[in-house]
Amino acid sequence: MIESTYLEGIRAGLQAEMREDENVILFGQDIAAFGGAFKVTLGFLDEFGPKRVFNTPISESAMIGSAIGMATQGLRPVVELQFADFGLTAVHQIMNNAAMTHYRTGIPVPITLRMPCGGGFGGGPFHSEELEGLFCNMPGLKVVYPAFPGDARGLLVSAIRDPNPVIYLENKYLYRHVKEMIPRKADPVPLGIARICRTGRDAVILTYGAMVHESIQAAERVAADAGYGVMVIDMRTLKPYDEDTVLSAVAACNRVLIVHEGCRTCGFGAELAALVAEKAFHLLDAPVRRMTAPDVPVPFAPELEKAYRPDADKIEQALMELLEF
Amino acid sequence: MTLDKDKGLEMLRVMLMTRAIEERLIRLYHQGKIYGGVYTGYGQEATGAATAALAGPNDIFTPCIRNLSAHIGRGASAMDVFRQWLGRKDGPTGGRDSNVHFGSAENGVYAMISHLGAMIPVCVGAVMGRRYRGLDSVGFAFIGDGGTSTGDFHEAVNFAAVRDVPVVIMIENNHYAYSTPTREQYRCKHLVDRAAGYGIEGIRVDGNDAVAMAEALGPVVEDIRRNPRPVLVEADTMRMRGHGEHDDFSYVPKELLDAYAARDPIRLARKQAADHGWADDAAADALAGEIQSVVDDAYKAALAESRPDASTLTLGVYAGD
Repeated sequence: MIESTYLEGIRAGLQAEMREDENVILFGQDIAAFGGAFKVTLGFLDEFGPKRVFNTPISESAMIGSAIGMATQGLRPVVELQFADFGLTAVHQIMNNAAMTHYRTGIPVPITLRMPCGGGFGGGPFHSEELEGLFCNMPGLKVVYPAFPGDARGLLVSAIRDPNPVIYLENKYLYRHVKEMIPRKADPVPLGIARICRTGRDAVILTYGAMVHESIQAAERVAADAGYGVMVIDMRTLKPYDEDTVLSAVAACNRVLIVHEGCRTCGFGAELAALVAEKAFHLLDAPVRRMTAPDVPVPFAPELEKAYRPDADKIEQALMELLEF
Repeated sequence: MTLDKDKGLEMLRVMLMTRAIEERLIRLYHQGKIYGGVYTGYGQEATGAATAALAGPNDIFTPCIRNLSAHIGRGASAMDVFRQWLGRKDGPTGGRDSNVHFGSAENGVYAMISHLGAMIPVCVGAVMGRRYRGLDSVGFAFIGDGGTSTGDFHEAVNFAAVRDVPVVIMIENNHYAYSTPTREQYRCKHLVDRAAGYGIEGIRVDGNDAVAMAEALGPVVEDIRRNPRPVLVEADTMRMRGHGEHDDFSYVPKELLDAYAARDPIRLARKQAADHGWADDAAADALAGEIQSVVDDAYKAALAESRPDASTLTLGVYAGD
């Protein structure tokens, strides 16, 4: 076992796949000698050389468009977007080209788009966005969002091996805030399988990304303060998502809180709430609750950002209301 | 560079085939047999024919809506085209996408998406992918005068320049983007002037004369194959019909259409074939007749074919499922 941060998990996953398969190549802004804005790819240029690791101009659309061209010619490109927010300047390449090519033509497009996302560090409106809801609404994409170092590594391995375009969301707040012991070998973590992070029978929290950690903290507090047992499920893959684990958890707990960092309307939580309403309504002892950011842009000032972003305090409060409904 | 007889006749065949298919598509549209609009490259057949004549087996094409001739030049059959337009089950996209939005992995031709400019970076990346694997590949990315105003055009040309990717960016200046004339589209004198801004070469050619175009571009294509870099080509041509068949194109001055009608690509190709001694009038007529019967057989056969089964709607969104 080795100790790994979330960022080191991402790096290890990339490195493992690049060592395994010479068709895996990596490009993006400032990722070569400089190692990327967050230093995920530091040392990659030296190890893999300039044919496989190279910088691009500030041209998200050309980066993703050319990745589609490479992927359809046998490569497995991994593109680093400096921030998920900037992926929006290439959204037609993602949605209309990458995601739709296989359905239209039968040709697979195995690309992985690494998108650093999320707030909590003063990034303001354009370096903090949570765009998973948007990407989940694009047929043909897969969307993964790890919360732990081991999953960051294993899900990235699976994303790169997958024959489809995969949006790999990496939470910037977690880069250096989360550590765990992980096995030396970079085994893949299958896409589409959620992880039960904490067991309990009184309520279940469905969440992902940075909010997994806030939710666990809230669950620990209600256990200590009020004796409730709260299950926490990390969705890990948002598309395709793990319906079975969600429905089993609802059957076991009968109360559901959905937590995510991004805004509310048509957020991924709305999909989970709809699933529970459609398939498990008869199992509920209380209305499904959502704890999300409000429908506003991500603000900069710490007072505003704290008010915007869900955290353990807000989750704890929502959880108590749900448990005592 | 001088073309040989085989290449010259092949270009003539491609252009005649393209014209015959599109004339039939227009008729099918007016007969109500095509679902959706019909968009042709009528009058622009030379660019696809000339570039296909210069291309090698590993080259990549990303044609746009006016470039059926590029598909034909790379090996698409009349049957492929009619199946696609008629949305038939066994067509290149099986009814999942419309009109010229089809390609062929085998022929190195990509299925365009409607967003102009979007296929240029795909072309650049596909050439990079093939060259990464050690294949000798050059790309031919088509775009119109209107499409040069997109962000993707700029991003992709600059990207190819920076990465030294051998791609011919073929701008077909057909004077109108739907109803928008070039004076409302750009301010430079010629679009090819932009090449200097990207630090690449720019070449302006007569887009209606396939033989002259192939002769002018042949050495350039061979040079960028050996010394990889992109090149910008502006081919002067004219859209001889509306944006689609629903459009009466009354906004285009008649004198402009007349001037280009006198320089119709097929008329020029036939003259070139006669002048070079590749095919006299009788031989060209015979070729056109053969092609016409292939086209007639193909559209009738495609009309008789099965349509997609609605139960297949959700299949194939993901690879590997």
